[in-house]
Amino acid sequence: MAELHLHDVSVRFGGLQALAEVNFSLMPGEIVGLIGPNGAGKTTVFNVITGVYSASGGHVEYNGENLTGLKPYQVLHKGIARTFQNIRLFQNMTALENVMVAQHSRSSCGVFGAIFRTPTQKREEARIKEKAMEELRFAELDEFADEVASSLPYGHQRRLEIARALASEPSSILLDEPAAGLNPAESSELMETIRKISERGINVLMVEHDMKVVMGICQRLVVLDHGVMIAKGNPEEIQKNPAVIEAYLGN
Amino acid sequence: MEYFFQQLINGITLGSVYALIALGYTMVYGIIQLINFAHGEFFAAGGYVGVIFMSYLLSQGAPAWVCLSGSLILAMAYCAMLAMAVEKVAYKPLRSSSRLSVLLSALGMSIFLQNGLMLTQGVYDRAYPTELTQGGFEFGTVMLSYMQLFIVSLTAFLLVALNFLVFKTRIGKAMRSTAQDKIMSALVGINSNRIISLTFAIGAGLAAAAGIMVGLYYGSVRYDMGFVPGIKAFAAAVLGGIGNITGAMIGGFIIGMVEIFAAGYISGEYKDVFAFLILIGVLYFRPSGIMGENVDDTRV
Amino acid sequence: MKRSIMTALLVSAILMLSAGMVFAKTLKVGTMGPLTGPYAADGNDIKNGVLTAVEVVKANGGIPGFDDIEVMPQDTACEPRQAVATANKLINEEANGVVGAYCSSATLPASEVLDEESIIMITPASTNEKVTSRGLPYMFRMCGRDDDQGFIALKFMQEKLGAKSVYIVDDKTAYSQGLADGVEKMCEAAGIKVLGHEHVNQGDKDFSAILTKVKTSNPDVFYMSMQNSATGALMLIQAKRMGIKAARLAQDAVYHPQLMEIAKDAAEDVYLTFGYIDNNAPAYKEFYAKYQPKHGEPGAYSGYAYDSAMAYFKAVKAAGATDPEKVKAELMKLDYDGATKHIKFKPNGDSGSNYIIRKVENGKFINYWNPATGKLY
Repeated sequence: MAELHLHDVSVRFGGLQALAEVNFSLMPGEIVGLIGPNGAGKTTVFNVITGVYSASGGHVEYNGENLTGLKPYQVLHKGIARTFQNIRLFQNMTALENVMVAQHSRSSCGVFGAIFRTPTQKREEARIKEKAMEELRFAELDEFADEVASSLPYGHQRRLEIARALASEPSSILLDEPAAGLNPAESSELMETIRKISERGINVLMVEHDMKVVMGICQRLVVLDHGVMIAKGNPEEIQKNPAVIEAYLGN
Repeated sequence: MEYFFQQLINGITLGSVYALIALGYTMVYGIIQLINFAHGEFFAAGGYVGVIFMSYLLSQGAPAWVCLSGSLILAMAYCAMLAMAVEKVAYKPLRSSSRLSVLLSALGMSIFLQNGLMLTQGVYDRAYPTELTQGGFEFGTVMLSYMQLFIVSLTAFLLVALNFLVFKTRIGKAMRSTAQDKIMSALVGINSNRIISLTFAIGAGLAAAAGIMVGLYYGSVRYDMGFVPGIKAFAAAVLGGIGNITGAMIGGFIIGMVEIFAAGYISGEYKDVFAFLILIGVLYFRPSGIMGENVDDTRV
Repeated sequence: MKRSIMTALLVSAILMLSAGMVFAKTLKVGTMGPLTGPYAADGNDIKNGVLTAVEVVKANGGIPGFDDIEVMPQDTACEPRQAVATANKLINEEANGVVGAYCSSATLPASEVLDEESIIMITPASTNEKVTSRGLPYMFRMCGRDDDQGFIALKFMQEKLGAKSVYIVDDKTAYSQGLADGVEKMCEAAGIKVLGHEHVNQGDKDFSAILTKVKTSNPDVFYMSMQNSATGALMLIQAKRMGIKAARLAQDAVYHPQLMEIAKDAAEDVYLTFGYIDNNAPAYKEFYAKYQPKHGEPGAYSGYAYDSAMAYFKAVKAAGATDPEKVKAELMKLDYDGATKHIKFKPNGDSGSNYIIRKVENGKFINYWNPATGKLY
């Protein structure tokens, strides 16, 4: 069971304060929603956690370890996977290959093993493939395994991205607007998938604009506005919070 | 007809060499969008490591196959390491700079390596022990030398091995994904710096193999031998669709064939003109090259 | 008072030093040739030949009136533009005389620049006729001329080989193509059928297409006019592999120990036109003894470069100055046995051609056929 803590995390781009001393935690088994108006800094939070940006102040702690200075692939090795707002699949690879790539970090054989097909290597490939198929089944995409990613319908691509993130066997997953562009039927399928992820014991932190999805599955919410955390609490509390209402609706 | 077949054999042999060098250009371009001008120098360095080690083995009385395979492996390994070092010193620090800076760094590296080779190995041609590779088959007046057979079959083997590596293995998947989206690849756990390094190493290894084959086939190496084949192979990579592995192979064979047939049927004086005319012609109708864009799932 | 004595001492010390510098006179000789690029071997041969000459002169007491001889090697890369640039550099650095260049295409433009500044230039290697036919007063040539060389090639094909047909290949430089064109014209005039005249490009390594043509047309003689020995070696290796049976005749630029080093047995029985050099002449032995231990086997033009430098030093010594008019007058008076040939300049600056046919036998160049007598050596 993993714990993620943000301690006074600040990010600066030149003169722009993108995040100012953001503090919150993601506790074992939780589904937490990160919300706020456009430009509030939600994606920046994801980028700091995953090592794409480095914090100019404060730090991110995961399972008691400081993540400062780690590269994205190293953060992933610590157990934090993510998806993107605009889908970033490897468009020219098949669905299966997309998921298999994500297990690169979980395999041990080097180049020579890969070229010369050692028995260990063969076993490993087989294991990776089996694991990837499992994730595709989980995301109900197994029948599309050999389709090229770019040819899949939009909703499927979303789920494929999640399957890929899960393939690295993370203990936490960060979902960036997973419901964006989905129709209502696809949205409810997605909520079901997220619940299933949580049941596997994986913590979920999601940025989402679709309030039906947010209110439907999140246990806690964190609200950002212009890089500042203005509220946190359970959905009911947040809905009544005057600061949140002001941020969304303006004066 | 015999004349045609002889020229066909000549063309395939020359095309093999271009194809092997072109792969390095295309792989590196595919992964970091850099035209690695120093690539021709890996080819030359491979030729030199090959001749030095091969002469040593011969002087120790080693049998021919040991000399050939031993020096081939050593040269490929050496150039792979050289390429990784070059990438680390000259390109990696500029990863986030403009493409022009990296390009200039590549040009500088090319000059540096070529002059390094000149200073350490001298300006004179260095002879290869050609006695290993004499003889051949005769079909009427058509000659197929053992050396040509060796070049073509080694090239075929390396091409098949590379295709297997890129399309069938985990490393290959990592290379392809890094080529498509470096940040995303990092976010699914791929150390893209390592993959980039590896791509340089593989490209340079293939160039080193080409360097040895050229040394054996033509009989000598010289410090500046990387320049002309480098340009031809670069043209081949562009012709095939730069960034595309299959394209580079096809491009290499086309350039080799066009050169030989232009020299054989028109005039040796204009063979390069024809090779580049074909290049311009293809790019006019298909700006991304023969295999470019439309089928870029083969991109690395 | 004490201070003024110190000042006076210091001033006189400086005066003495600078006076010493005025009296220390250095003879500056530039060498020009390709030190990098495909013809680097030949350019270095020229430089080494000149260095050897300096060594010999110094060992024999130097040149009266000069404390030192400085060699300033310049890299022309065989390019006309770079040749002009290096010529200007030598002018700026006040070179007294120049030995070079190698490629005719470099010597021609460089000599125009040097001649304007009245700097004496002796080429050891540029055989193109134009080098001395332009009437430049300070241009001299130690080697032979291509028209003579082409004529000897023709004479050999006719008289010794009894050739009826020839296939010509050159590599498109002012020198190699000029010579090949000359040979083509002479062959046609003499009734030897020219089955083809092909060209390869600089930097090419693969000649298989052209050689397939040569093989298919089955000539009596395969005439190769290449700019250097390494290219010649590559062509010989591939010609052998291709199974070309024609007699192979090459020229002076292919003449180099490198030829056999690279081509090995593919170079056996190749004929070349090259100036006659008596390896047993005392002057040659002296040159060889000094050259070989330091720089290895002399290249095609090492000896000619040595003789060019020696001739210049002799003339300066006789003139007792570097004044170009005086040195020129002394150069014209020279009449002695050099390492490579008997040195006596003609009014146009040439020293005369003495081409013979050499042949590679058992990995060595031997004097083979004497065109003057029509007999074997």
